Amino acid sequence: MNMTPSSSSLPAVADKPIDMIGLLRQAHHPGAGAVVLFSGEVRDSNRGQAVAFLEYEAHVALATSMIAEILSTAKERWSLHTAIAQHRVGRVAIGDTAVVVITASAHRGEAYAANKYIIDRIKHEAPIWKCEHYADGTKEWGNNCNCHAVTGDIHKHIYE
Amino acid sequence: MKIHVYAALKDYFQPEFEVSELVRNTDELKAVLLALNDKAAEILSACRFAVEEGFIDNAFKLNEYDTVVIIPPSSGG
Repeated sequence: MNMTPSSSSLPAVADKPIDMIGLLRQAHHPGAGAVVLFSGEVRDSNRGQAVAFLEYEAHVALATSMIAEILSTAKERWSLHTAIAQHRVGRVAIGDTAVVVITASAHRGEAYAANKYIIDRIKHEAPIWKCEHYADGTKEWGNNCNCHAVTGDIHKHIYE
Repeated sequence: MKIHVYAALKDYFQPEFEVSELVRNTDELKAVLLALNDKAAEILSACRFAVEEGFIDNAFKLNEYDTVVIIPPSSGG
């Protein structure tokens, strides 16, 4: 298992634009026949409202340790060669990457499944929040995880 | 006890403040916070609490020197 380009050597939370190509370059592994890259990008509208940009905030220490645990769990469960995740904080423009997840494994099934697992858990569990700044000048902290309304437990989530 | 709040909670509280009341657990802390701003009731019911970078539940015994971080529901991605 390639441990080099994992959470242990890359910041899980970044205040500068994500170097997606650089991260992808680090994800390659001689034992990996499949590399899956997910890029969560800022779109220009949400629920019918024009979005100007997003601003992300995080509890960096908690988010970093949580993302490390998520990557470690995914690596173990799907025997990944590489698992990388990085999330932006600060202002992120329309079309820019807010979060990237890269997984590499011997075959594509594991890389796809692990990638989805990682991004789902990051979105639901990591202490990272987006504030949507709309084109009309208003803003709103948005799209909070609402799983507790169904599970009855703020630590239990429903993944898509 | 020092309190740090994030994201949407900053619409209801200062990002960092102190509570002087005797607070022994998260339920008592929630009661103090609601006394400060009862409009935060809904979001507080969905928040996680952390001390020293570890999540805590109501069984965790808080003391006056703790810094408690209040974590609203995540909305990353």
